Amino acid sequence: MSEIGETTTVQWDSALEAIERCYELGWTDGLPVVPPTEARVAEFIERSGRPSAEVIGELPERRREITVGKVAANAVMAGCLPEYMPVVLTATEAMLDPVFNLVGPSSSMGGSGILTIINGPVVRELNINARNNLFGPGNRANATIGRAVRLILMNACAAIPGVFDRSVIGHPGKYTYCIAEAETETHWTPLHVERGFQTGQSTVTVFAGESPRQVRSVGRPEPILLAIADTASSLGTNMSTSGSVGETGTGVRQGEIVVTIAGNSGLWQDWTKDQVRDFIFQRAQRNVAELKQAQVLAGDVEPGDESTPVSLIPEPSDILLLFAGGEESNMSSVIPSWGPKVGSTAVTKVIN
Amino acid sequence: MTTTNEHVLVNPVTQPVIAPFNGAPRLASLAGTRVGLIDDSKRNADVLLEELAEILRTRYEISGVKWHRKPSASRPADPEALKELVEECDAVVVAIGD
Repeated sequence: MSEIGETTTVQWDSALEAIERCYELGWTDGLPVVPPTEARVAEFIERSGRPSAEVIGELPERRREITVGKVAANAVMAGCLPEYMPVVLTATEAMLDPVFNLVGPSSSMGGSGILTIINGPVVRELNINARNNLFGPGNRANATIGRAVRLILMNACAAIPGVFDRSVIGHPGKYTYCIAEAETETHWTPLHVERGFQTGQSTVTVFAGESPRQVRSVGRPEPILLAIADTASSLGTNMSTSGSVGETGTGVRQGEIVVTIAGNSGLWQDWTKDQVRDFIFQRAQRNVAELKQAQVLAGDVEPGDESTPVSLIPEPSDILLLFAGGEESNMSSVIPSWGPKVGSTAVTKVIN
Repeated sequence: MTTTNEHVLVNPVTQPVIAPFNGAPRLASLAGTRVGLIDDSKRNADVLLEELAEILRTRYEISGVKWHRKPSASRPADPEALKELVEECDAVVVAIGD
């Protein structure tokens, strides 16, 4: 036990051997990692300005306490730079907030990735990508911050595939899933400001999400939003299912969604984020007849079912809307939540 | 002191921190007891528990049940609901449906 935590002494004579040692220790996500040497981890801890042993959150269901030192070791392994530490720490704090209910999305058969959305000046300072290839690949900050979150989940939060993580099919975002909003390139209010923070503050929002569904509809706002609403209300998402629905009274899981819209923000000059959300919300629904036919709701189809809509999103404000993605085209994405809002709710925390 | 090819790595893995606790004493008999039932709200948890309640009544002669349905299977049970179950029941059964 050194000052920065429990250590293991290993032998290697080359970089290749160093990588292999980490595989042997069972610390990786399947890809090679940067060995978390004492010196490198100490550098990350120092950059955080916080003591190694400080507990930043707990996962009571798995009896885990997550310290600054554990976050640092995993951030090193993910390939982060020391200056990413405050972002990774904040993401960890956010996903350990009881409202997020990490034990659900990190263990469920449904299998979510923990999407981290970065807002504020830190996006420019750390060169976090909000444009072309939004979901990757190609940019160190996005790739390694998102990967650090996954390694923290696996190593520090015990979300080990096949053990506590029972996801049936997983998804590619479980390797890394970190994006930013192109907030300086739109008149829209940035996500973090909508969620109560100042423009000059930097934040991390965590969201337990399915994989992004690409929406290829371009040209004019209304057709784009129709396609987004259609995607958001498709059968087979975790929202258009029943079971563990909470007390919504609807019989379906109602959850939050993330929507990203790319391209030239000028297309949206006559639209506010609230107007976009209202348009999607009013159409992100299925009627009772469709839900019965898909066996989401029980019973035979009865007269009137076709004209009885069921909303899959609780409120318009449950649509987390981002202007993000390449400027080449107004392509979009929809990320359905892993489960009902009552099971996990997005959390935003300020980066200190 | 490490030799040139020895390297000290910081362990990124946490271990569980388990506080000691004492389990409640086991009941000698279920006859006349009140049994709490926690339905996790997943599909069929209620079917399973209703059947169980019937068996407990007819074969084990319990005096009654107290039902609690969680709003979400993914969330821990509400501490207030647990407190009531502890106060009002002699034993509790949890069902995980799916």
